[in-house]
Parts: sequence; structure tokens; C-alpha cells
Amino acid sequence: MKSSVFAKLLLPNAVFLAALSILVERAPAAEPAEAAEAAGLALFESKIRPMLAQHCYKCHSEKSGTPEGNLLLDSREAARKGGDRGLAIVPGKPEESLLLTAISHADTDLKMPPKKERLPASVIHDVERWIQLGAPDPRDANAVPKSQVDNLEEARKFWALQTPVRRDPPQSRDTSWAKSAIDKFVLAKLESSDLTPSPDAEPTTLLRRLHFDLVGLPPSPEASQIFLNRVENEGFDAALEAEVDSLLASARFGERWGRHWLDVARFAESSGKEANISFPYAWRYRDYVIDCLNNDVPFDRFLTEQLAGDLLPYADDKERARLLIATGFLALGPKNLDEANAFQFLADVIDEQIDTVTRAVMGHSVACARCHDHKFDPYSMEDYYALAGVFASTNTYFGTFVSPANRVSGDPLVLPKQAELPILHQGIPAKRVEALKAELAALQKEEQDGRAAIQRAIEAGEDPSEIFTLTDALRIFWKSGGIEGQLEKVSDEGEPLPLAMGVLDREQMIDVPLLERGEINRPGDPVARRFPRVIELTESNCIPDDQSGRLEFSRWLTHPDHPLTARVMTNRIWHYLLGAGLVRTTDNFGVTGDPASHPELLDHLAIRFVDNDWSIKKFVREIVLTRTYRQASTYNQAAFEIDPDNRLLWRASKRRLDAEAIRDSMLAASGELDVSRPTGSLVGRVIGDRPISLIGLDARIPSDLDGSMHRSVYLPVLRDRLPDVLDLFDFAEPSLVTGARDTTNVPVQALYLMNSPFVQARAKSLAARITNEVEGDQQRMQLAFSLCFSREPDADELQIAREFFGPASTADEELLTSYCQALLSTAEFRNLD
Amino acid sequence: MAPVSRRHALKSLSSGFGYLAFASLAHQAAADDVGAATAGTLAPKPTHFPARAKRVIFLCMNGGPSHVDLFDYKPALNSQSGNTTAIGRDRGGAKLLGSPFKFAQHGESGLWMSEVCPQLAKHADKLCVIRSMHTDLPNHSQAFTQMHTGSFQFVRPSVGAWTLYGLGSENENLPGFITLNPPADNGGARNYGSSFLPAICQGTKIGGNQIPAFYAALLGKDEEPGPPLKNIDNTLLSRDQQREQLKLIRDLNVAKLKRDVHHPEIEGAIESFELAFRMQDEVPDVLDLRSETETTRNQYGIGQGLATDRFGRQCLLARRLVEAGVRFVEITAPTSWDHHFQLHEKLPESCAITDQPVAALLADLKQRGMLDDTLVIWAGEFGRTPYGQSQTGRDHNNKGYTLWMAGGGVQGGLAYGATDEYGSEAIEQPVHIHDWHATILHLLGLDHERLTFNYGGRDFRLTDVYGNVVTDILA
Repeated sequence: MKSSVFAKLLLPNAVFLAALSILVERAPAAEPAEAAEAAGLALFESKIRPMLAQHCYKCHSEKSGTPEGNLLLDSREAARKGGDRGLAIVPGKPEESLLLTAISHADTDLKMPPKKERLPASVIHDVERWIQLGAPDPRDANAVPKSQVDNLEEARKFWALQTPVRRDPPQSRDTSWAKSAIDKFVLAKLESSDLTPSPDAEPTTLLRRLHFDLVGLPPSPEASQIFLNRVENEGFDAALEAEVDSLLASARFGERWGRHWLDVARFAESSGKEANISFPYAWRYRDYVIDCLNNDVPFDRFLTEQLAGDLLPYADDKERARLLIATGFLALGPKNLDEANAFQFLADVIDEQIDTVTRAVMGHSVACARCHDHKFDPYSMEDYYALAGVFASTNTYFGTFVSPANRVSGDPLVLPKQAELPILHQGIPAKRVEALKAELAALQKEEQDGRAAIQRAIEAGEDPSEIFTLTDALRIFWKSGGIEGQLEKVSDEGEPLPLAMGVLDREQMIDVPLLERGEINRPGDPVARRFPRVIELTESNCIPDDQSGRLEFSRWLTHPDHPLTARVMTNRIWHYLLGAGLVRTTDNFGVTGDPASHPELLDHLAIRFVDNDWSIKKFVREIVLTRTYRQASTYNQAAFEIDPDNRLLWRASKRRLDAEAIRDSMLAASGELDVSRPTGSLVGRVIGDRPISLIGLDARIPSDLDGSMHRSVYLPVLRDRLPDVLDLFDFAEPSLVTGARDTTNVPVQALYLMNSPFVQARAKSLAARITNEVEGDQQRMQLAFSLCFSREPDADELQIAREFFGPASTADEELLTSYCQALLSTAEFRNLD
Repeated sequence: MAPVSRRHALKSLSSGFGYLAFASLAHQAAADDVGAATAGTLAPKPTHFPARAKRVIFLCMNGGPSHVDLFDYKPALNSQSGNTTAIGRDRGGAKLLGSPFKFAQHGESGLWMSEVCPQLAKHADKLCVIRSMHTDLPNHSQAFTQMHTGSFQFVRPSVGAWTLYGLGSENENLPGFITLNPPADNGGARNYGSSFLPAICQGTKIGGNQIPAFYAALLGKDEEPGPPLKNIDNTLLSRDQQREQLKLIRDLNVAKLKRDVHHPEIEGAIESFELAFRMQDEVPDVLDLRSETETTRNQYGIGQGLATDRFGRQCLLARRLVEAGVRFVEITAPTSWDHHFQLHEKLPESCAITDQPVAALLADLKQRGMLDDTLVIWAGEFGRTPYGQSQTGRDHNNKGYTLWMAGGGVQGGLAYGATDEYGSEAIEQPVHIHDWHATILHLLGLDHERLTFNYGGRDFRLTDVYGNVVTDILA
């Protein structure tokens, strides 16, 4: 056999063997059966089945009449049975499988498909891999993966539930390209598919990519010049390192990367669902997240603060306030504030918390086990209700009050006054507080009297319907709600209180009864609080009787041996920097999710992340300094045919900027960007407490919900009512954990760029800026390009500009504005190479 | 130099690979005229065989409507209501839940329908009811994306995008695929996305900004104040000035594309800008429901405070859009059919929101002579179990459920296929999502095995390697 692929398979090299022997204690079988089966099934569906249908069925299927060589490939049984020549598929043994021999043209007497070019190397590689994985074939069997709730030993063999394995990076033929272990993993994979990496990107292209990826803004013309000079004087590597370090140190980094976490944390400033009431204090959590990213709070600590900040020790009131704000993570989920049944509401809040935490941190949703054992992943109803107890022992403070639009109220969390935080709402005179209290007491008395009167009427056999009507009850309910809403915001003296969203432990801890089919009226036995059984970690299941268990839960999640937390987070970061995760379903690491393209690399990343004390900045730095990241995004037809999705990373992915970067770049180009942090948000400052559906009627609130020069991360994030620019350019749905945003390309986006007052105003300012800064048509066109695309125009582009201006010049203000708007509207402006 | 039609130039441009050869010609052609010609991908294309339907209105019933309470009459389910059954998945056995609604036969065809859709029942003889649908998974998000794209696992083009790709658009001034009120979850934009097909094939989302009926009534406001589509008008530039600006944008985009050789995002941007430019003149009129008569508006149930108001507007808008030449219109009903609890109250509520508008749409299309070549689809992502949850609702059921189609080449008054005696599983003439997709394409004159797109060396289809046209339901 001449195929080098086979040779590698049969003779693992010495280094690999050595590494294996070191790891043998920690690593069980390299490819456990269940994991391999899931990966193999996915591979079968995506690659093998289409290949068989396209190239083999014509001669080797029931439909083909008498099959060639008595070999049928259209059912599992027949394919396994083989034909006249022998076994076509021997699970686990590619070298004995004639199918592979035939399609790889390794035997001159057996070349398939007949009289045709050999199939692409990637296809042959896929078939080999599939057979190696045991050739799982769902045809005529139930293809739907089954949950392993009843067999946790088996379930633990799924790849994502295995502890990441430390491996030496593989060797490659090309020994000069790789700069880091990451590169070595990537390169080995490329070589195994006969691909080579792309050359490094041009310095200006890379600089633009780096700036958008790290701080979400284009490099200024000055920054570009400094960088290019450095490349010239100190070399590419040194210039790059210096640039990366300065971007990581910039406060803009936290605004960019904080927003990524806010996507995952489904951050929003209103309740969503039918009532959709504003959350006027949610912005404090937003600022907390941004600060954490800027201060590089280790990710394990960051998670712990968000899950259990209220239970952590603190040095002073400022720290206490910060830790309480962190728990806003648990409080700001979507809520059905119109739910009539208080117990149902509570059950739904807990469910949302479980769903968000497990999906965001583990890439698994335990919440699916609310009504029945999880259909696919190994979580039982007991697991769910054990976790539900943790959150049921927690009081969630979200700070909305009863109004005609909603029946459910929630207290806000009062922060220590000495923390000296900004407060956006006004106080009220002390006398007014007293008056309100009196009014509230009167209303309560009226209700009590009313009820008593009804009782008396009933006892006396009279008709009670006119005594205290439903209208009376509702009037009191709503009016009291409004008064309580005013009183909860101020001290007894009427001074405004610093408020936040967050959680605290309850006075009494609760073990929740298992609810048959998730129904609140069918309680079963209480389930002791603990964490899902499938992931066994030492010292993780001791929840003190007097605590909810959130602190222990965060320790369990951030345990260095937790198989999911570091994998999921490093995959998220990889997605943000490379355009797609190694696991493309960033929020689903379950059996219905996408298997990793580079499982060994993902393990390496997870281990590195934990080794580096969960530092996000260090991790980002490591990735952007790889040659993998540095590649050009240039199209290569041959590589594209093999790997159109760029899963193997033969080039940098071309990406569209996200909504915030598009808007921020316009403000940066026009010179109008205000990089200071606004106090609070439009929600806290102007909208206040009210149903979001009514804000369109308030003339003070811009209809596009913009009207600001601050960075987009500070725009109001209202569920079902996003600012136009965010809504149009695929902002993360704020009711869902979102690791990967959509990218659409539709005419309504073009209409925004052509006709919206926001873009028109930026174009006008950009034109004015250019006019003020330089003289002369060519200089102005160059500056415009530099501001918009971080590069010089080429001769063609200058010619296009001259044609546009015709006999007029850049002195024509209207024409220059139109020109500037065109630049802001080009595809290049909102795309990264 | 011989004149090169812009359509020709853009066509070659859309294919990506052949671009360089045409680059200079395209540039020349682009210089001639912006805004008048038809964009390449969307130019009307010949069908594989004569089409029975030219356009589609897909009424999407998000949440999984209960087939056994709407269309799939199961006397055994009622007579054995309360009996423990082995078909349930939950612990301790589930109990069959009879339908709380009365069923009756309607029309000359005698189609069985329950009492909760009285208006639709009047159109029984127009409906082709498939009672033997099945899909792979009983989870909303997966089933919803499979219904829309054929795949729950991979990102694939939606059925609307395939339709537009296969047929092109009949109106160069409007998007060929419009989706009203799509849910943000359950796969989000994937459900109207184009995946690897040209970006111009993806659905354009319209709508939003509604005021809840409660407040609209309280304040005397319209439920949908403001235009359903913003930024449709340019207040600063004349059309001529705008045309010059658009030409500049395109020239720069084309220059960029020339450098990048293959860059679908930029090709999509070029096409979507031209479409946007042309939309400005036509969209405001199409979206303006005021030009409809009072009678029509009443028929659709449009009116302040009415449960039918929102869906009525959307159905009427759908008719106006297809009438104007939009190829594929999808409307997600503004109600959830996910009736796990209190089905006896909640299902009638969902019907009250949708029944009259749907019936009005069928009548309106019929009256305008459009029903013959417009395929109307009513479908959710799956059905519901015959056994109950807390005896008040039903769980998800992917193994057997019902959808219906009308017009566009399907037989009216037909009940096709059957589930078992309780409505649990499709047992007679089962129709999988892939079969259904193959049938939709067939009605549109497209062979699902020939409508392919080569991506990365493989020809992809909406139906992957599956799908059989359900020929028995063709008129």
C-alpha cells in the first residue's frame, strides 16, 4: 500500500506513542465507543451518505437492479455484508475495508467510481475517519441519538464529558510554519487533508482585523502609521506583540469582549414576553461585565461572582456592591410578568436560571429535564430538581412593580449606600413618603374591609356582588403596586436608594419536590440539592444546610477537571477570533451538537486556559499571535473545493462586522465617537419603569432608540424592541444564550445605510472632518479611505471617485457627503478580510 | 464595444468563479444604468416542468398545533379517554386525553374538522389535509428548523430560499422572499436564511413595533403605529442623486469583489443595494393597507381590539405581496400552539386569532382567481400527543401530525394518509418533511432531485438524499 495516510495509521510515530504512554493513566481509550458513534453518525450524515448516494448507488443499490459485484451500499446490513470481492466495510479497520481501497485507488484492479477521476482527498479522508470511528450507519436503525440517563458510565464516554487530555502537539512535514502549539495542531490537520495554510495577511489587513477583534474599532490613520513604522524598524513579530499588548490594555477591550459575554448572559433591560416591562437597573450589570473584562478577572472567579457574589467575603461596601451587582446575571432573564400563578412564575424563573447557567457555562441544557429525563443528554429529572432546589433557595430581585400591564412584582436589590454609586432616579420629599405610606395603608384597609363586608354579606345570605367588586379589587391592586414601586426606590427620608438586580439566599433553604411532567400541581418527593451526577468531581457535592448551594455550584462548574466549562469558554473565544468555533454549535456540546473539528486542539486550549489561571486576556493574546490567526483570507479554489467551510483553517475566515462594530466605526470615521462611558443607559435615565410597548409614544425617545455618540454597547437593550441598527444587523437575541450571532444580508440593511438619519448624519460629519483636515481632492479621497478602510485607495478607486465627482470637486459639500455615505455603505466597510 | 446586458454581467458575477473574465464588462455595464435592470440571481427562470403553483404563502403555526383537536378525528381517543396507555414516554404511564372539541364533517367532501375553526370549515373543499406527517425530533428548535430547511443538524437554505433560487422573482422591485413576524428563537434567521445559496435568496423580515391590543384599545391607538418597514424614503437626495450614489457604491463593491475573486457576502451586498433602491418606489404602496376596502378589511378581521386584527393584517399583507409578485411569503401566526396546559381554553384562543383571517385569505385568493396558482400552506413543526399532561394539555408529537395545503395544484377536499387509532403515529401513507418539501417543489415546477447547488464540490438539495413527491395529492 502506497498511501501515506494508511502508513500513518498503522505506524503511529514514536513521539505519539511516547505521549500516549505518559497519558495512559488519565486517558482511557482514545475514542470511546459512544463518542465515536456520535461523531461517526454526524460524519455519516454530513459526508458519507451524500457520497454514497452521489457516487455509488447508481450501481450498488436496490434501485440499480442487479448490483455490480453483488455489492449493495444502500442499507447498513448489505454494506456490512459486502460483495463478491469481500468485506466493503470493516468497522474500526479502514485498512481491511475494500470500500476505502476502491475509492482511494490503492489497488489498480479496483478503482471506484469506475473510469473516473479519484474522488477528492477530503472525501477519502472522511470515509477513512468514518470507518475508524466504527462506521456507524443509522440506515434502517433509529438514527436519533438516545439519552444515557440510565447508564452514566456509558454517558461519560461522550467526548465532551471526558476530561480534556494533555497531549504533545503533533509533528508535521512543514517544520517552519508553526509558531505555537496551536499552530502545530492546525497544521497537522491541514496536512492530513493535503491542504496548506495561507500566507500571512498584509500588515494593514491584519492590523484592521486585530483592532476589530480586540476592541471593536478600526485603527486610526495614526495608529496604522505607527504600526507600519514598527514593522519596518522592529519586524513583524515585535510590532504585532506590541500592538496586541496595547489593545489588550485599552479600556475599549472590555467594551468589545464584555459585549460578547453579555450575548451569552442574555443581557437585556426589559422583561420581554407579553408584558415587557423595563429593568431600569440592569445597566449596572453591563458595566460590571465590561470592567471585569478590562481587569482580566479570571474566568473562574468571574463566574463565581455572577453565580454567588452575594455569598463571597468582601473588604468594603464598594466590593460588596460590586459582588451584588454581579449576581444580576441570574436576575435579568426574560420573565412572564403577566403570569397569574405566583408559583408557576417562580418555577419559570428557576427554570430560566438553570437553562441559562448550564447552557452558557456548560453548553448543555439541564433545563430540558424539567418535564422528563433529557431526551438526548444524560440529565435526569432528579438532576434537574436537585439543581432547582439551589435556585429555589435563592431569592431573585428584579425590581418591577405591579401596573396595568403586569401582575408580578419583584423587589429591587438595595446596594450599600456607602459604595457611592450613581443613582439615576430622583428622591421624593420625606413628607411625600409619609403620605404614600398612609395612602398604601388606607388602600390595604379598604381591601380588608371590602373582603370582610363580602364575608358578612355571604354569611347573611345577601348578594355580595355589589359590595366590593372586581373593579375595586383591581383598582386597589394596581394603585398599591404603583405606590409600592415608588416607595421601594427611596429611604424613609425620601432619599433615592442605590438599586440593582441580583439575588440573595433565602432565609429558609428548600429542597424542591420532583414535579411529575414539570407540573406544579403534581409534586413528588423532595430531591436533595446537588449537581448533575454525570459529571463527578471530588469535594463538589457538600452543600451546607444553611446555604442555597450557589457557591458550591460555582465551585463545581469551575473545578479544573470539569470537562465542559473550560472547553466551552475557549471554544467561544476561538469563535470570536477565528469566525467559527472548533465546535460550531457554541452553545450545544451535547450529542445533538456539532462534533469538534479539532478535538485534540480543543483539549489543548481548555488545559492552557486553566493553566493560565483562566485569564481571558492571556488566552486571547496567545491565539492572535499564532500564525493560524495571522493568515490571509485570500480565496484559493483548490482548497475551497476540499474544505469550503474552512473548518480546517486553511485561511482566515472572511467575516461581516457585527452591528456594534458597524455603528461604532461610522462614529469613529466621522470623528464623533464619544468613548467615555455614559452614566447608566437610556432605560435608567429616560425610559424608567414602564411597558416597552409604550415608549414609541414618548417624543423624547428617538424612534431608532439611538441618538447617542457613545459606543454601541451602551445603547439600550430592550427585548423585542432593539435599536434599529442592532436589530437590522443581527444583534444577539437578548432572550437567548447566544454564542454565535446570525449574519444576514438583506435589502432592509441597505435601506438603513441609504436612508436612515443616523447614517446620513455620520456622512455629513465625515465630509466636514475631511474638508477641515486636508486640502485637495486626492488628499481628501485618501483620507476618506484611510478613515473608512484603513488603507489607501488604488488607482481604480481614485478613478471611480473622479467619475463620481465629474466636473465638480470635493469642495461641493453635498456631493462629498454623498461620497462619504457611499463609503460607509460599501461592503468593505462592514467586512473583515 | 458590443453592449453587454447588465443581467448577463451580473449573472456571471453571481457565479463567482467566472467573474474575472467579465469584470471589465460588468464594470462597463454597471456604468450604464443602475436600478432599471433585473438582478441576475433573481431573474425569472424556467421551471423543470410546467408549474401548478407560481407562488407560496406559508402560514407558519409555531409551537405544534394539536392535530387530534383540529383535523385528525379519533373516536377511539374519546371513548378511551382516561385509560392508561403505553405510548407515553413519561414515568408511570400516561393517560389518553379525549378531545374536548366536537368534530363534524364539512363540505361536499365531508372532511372532518373540529368546532374550533368554524370559518376555515367553510372552505373544507379547498383543503388538502395531510394527516400522516412525521418529522425526526420532538423538540421545537430542531423540528422547526427541519420544517424550514430539511435539516435540524446543519445550516441549510430554507425552503423559501430554495424556491426563490429555483424560480427567480416576478417583481424586480420587491424581495422575492418575505417573512412576517418570524420567531427569534427556534433557529432564528436560519429558518429564512440562504446558507450557501446566494445571499439575495434569503427572506427579508418585515414587521415589529406592535402595541399590545390592551393598550391600543386603552389609548385609542393603532396596534401597529408607524410603517412596518422603516427607512424606505430618502429625505435628502433626489432619485437621480441617489442613483449616482448607488452606482458609486456598486463600483466600489465590484472593485472589491474583483480583488477577492470569490466573496458571497459582497455579491449579496451588490444585489441587495440594487433591490433596496428599487423597493423605495414600490414598497410603500404595497404595504399600505388603507387602499383596501372596508369590506375587505372586515373580512380579514382587521379592526381595533379584535383578536384577529394582527393576523388579519398579516394575511391581507401576504395577499398584497404575492399579488405584487413576491414569490414566497411566510407569516408566523402571532400565537403559540404549544399547548402543554389548559388546551381546552388555549387552543380556542389560538384559533380565534387565526381562523377568520385564514378563511378570508382563501376566499380572497379564490375571488381574485389567484388560488389556482398560489399554494397556501398551513403547518406547524409537529403535532401533539393523544395522551395528556396533567389532563389539561398535550406534549410534542413528531411521529404523526397534520398539515394542510390549498390551491396551487393540490386536490381540495382531500384527507390523505392516516395515523393510528389514537393519532399517535403516522401509519398509512406516511409523509416525511423531505417528502413534503419534494412535493412543494414539484408543485412549483421544480424537480427536487434536479434543483441543486454546488457547494464545495458537492451538489446539495433541499431534500438531501431523500424525498418522494406525494403524487396522490396532486390535482
